Amino acid sequence: MSDVTPKDIEALLETFEASDWSEMKLKIEGLELFVSKSSGARPSVGVGEISAPAPAPAPAPAGIASTPKHGAAPDHWVAVRAPHLGTFYRSPKPGAAPYVNLGQHVEPMTEVCLIEVMKLFTSLFAGVSGVVRQVLVEDSELVEFGQTLFLIEPEA
Amino acid sequence: MRMRRVLVANRGEIALRIVRAAKALGLETVLAASAADRDSLAAKEADRVVTLGPALARASYLDASLVVHAAKATGCDALHPGYGFLSERAALARLCEEHGVTFVGPTSQSIEAVGDKLAARRLAKAAGVAMTPGSAKLASAEEAVAFASEIGFPVVTKASAGGGGRGMVVARDANSLAEGFERASVEAKEAFGDGTLYLERYVERARHVEVQVLGLGDGRVLHFGERDCSMQRRYQKMIEEAPASAMPDATRARLHRAAVELLGSIRYRNAGTVEFLYDVERDDFYFMEVNARIQVEHPVSEMICGVDLVRLQLEVAGGAAPRVEQRDIVSHGHAIEARILAEDPRRGFLPSPGRITRWRPPDGEGVRLDTAIEQEAIVSPYYDSMIAKLIVHAPDRPRAVARLRDALEAFAVEGVATNIELLRAVTRHPDFLANTLDTRWLETVFLPHYGQLEG
Repeated sequence: MSDVTPKDIEALLETFEASDWSEMKLKIEGLELFVSKSSGARPSVGVGEISAPAPAPAPAPAGIASTPKHGAAPDHWVAVRAPHLGTFYRSPKPGAAPYVNLGQHVEPMTEVCLIEVMKLFTSLFAGVSGVVRQVLVEDSELVEFGQTLFLIEPEA
Repeated sequence: MRMRRVLVANRGEIALRIVRAAKALGLETVLAASAADRDSLAAKEADRVVTLGPALARASYLDASLVVHAAKATGCDALHPGYGFLSERAALARLCEEHGVTFVGPTSQSIEAVGDKLAARRLAKAAGVAMTPGSAKLASAEEAVAFASEIGFPVVTKASAGGGGRGMVVARDANSLAEGFERASVEAKEAFGDGTLYLERYVERARHVEVQVLGLGDGRVLHFGERDCSMQRRYQKMIEEAPASAMPDATRARLHRAAVELLGSIRYRNAGTVEFLYDVERDDFYFMEVNARIQVEHPVSEMICGVDLVRLQLEVAGGAAPRVEQRDIVSHGHAIEARILAEDPRRGFLPSPGRITRWRPPDGEGVRLDTAIEQEAIVSPYYDSMIAKLIVHAPDRPRAVARLRDALEAFAVEGVATNIELLRAVTRHPDFLANTLDTRWLETVFLPHYGQLEG
């Protein structure tokens, strides 16, 4: 058994996040890891099939493929995370209907919210096909880098 | 204006230093950290931590909008930028000014005025501060010799069209200048397509000296004496001292006056440093640049003057009447700071990130350690490799050197490579003991020899 700690994994993921790489595969004793910056990516042949009975972690759209554990959310639900600090807006303008509601079906390119930094608004997309199961942030709340905003149950 | 909550927009030891100084003043602190620094000591001590972005500085610490947004959204009324990162970006100061956040530093206008080297030189000239004597463009070797005879040898030719050592010839007398001028001109022509040269006084043995100041924003500027930072490698300071004991008292007094006049002329506000080149042989100094921020090496000035500069920064920013006057600032003894770097001198000073598996810093009388490292901490590969600043204070330089040597001997770090062994060797070197250093000493005298010793 290797002595890899959660901290090491975190450091590794940060390295990946900061790099220009699009995918990273890692195999050491007792651990296999596949992460990708593209939302549809899956481990290419050769990595997934070596041993692991458990599947490699599903890549999250924001790039970090750690396992979201908010409440009793099933492991396979996909987190939509804040790409940086900013103010979270659920709707295009005050008083307008939210981009998405609980139970709503979304496609990878469905806009789910806005993140504002000094009056500069950035759209965030679902990154996956599925159903919105949780909205974890209140409108106009400050969100931080990596914070989970939505949980989406992917379609089978 | 009463400040209540300050955003600390930095990392490492300076972030921790600011958090502690702010708390001591009864201010609340919010640390704006990157994802890599969420578990740092500064994060543990701050009242609140917000994660700006990923480890990459460009997407976190270097994004002025993110930092000011974080300040606004967390209800901060002030922002301390520390050193490095955004600390000298006029854009950050301006963004703060526009959004009612007190910038703990100079005005954006001042940062612009001193940030551009040419603008700063004009400013220095207007304030009557000495600069390296130099000529205008020269048409011939005869003209060069005439000019050199006026300002005195040695001189160095420089290419008007570019730098990088091309077109540079050091001449120690008229003959060698006449002969070297043509050679330099041809070299400059080949390198830059323009053979035009000018002449500057050549400083054979230069020391880097700098004056610590604190501007009150109303034209009054306090100084906290000078520092000698001649121990450098590739323009990176490694050891800094205060006072600059190799300098005569009269020169030192002139140096302080020059710094105060320069920054007084723009009603400079908050902490700043005026850097000079000190020509040891001629006992003369020339203006280099202004650093519009708190500097890494500020603790040596604090030690000899008995002040807390970061606390003073916050007080000045908050508009509090300064409780110190120039006549209260009296220097005592000698202080030396050594920068502890996670770099491997045996491998070309290659950064050595990793986990600190053993951390046993020195302590005792007159020993201060500014660091955010603790046992099991990770030295991140994303940022500067400085992991600690070891500062010693003693009644005089010989005793300060001895104290530094003892402290370095006692300093045990494992898990990452450091420059501690190199620093120990420096503190044993006769030139360091005799204080006969210059800015090229470490690279040209010490390191070649050190390399041989260490294989």
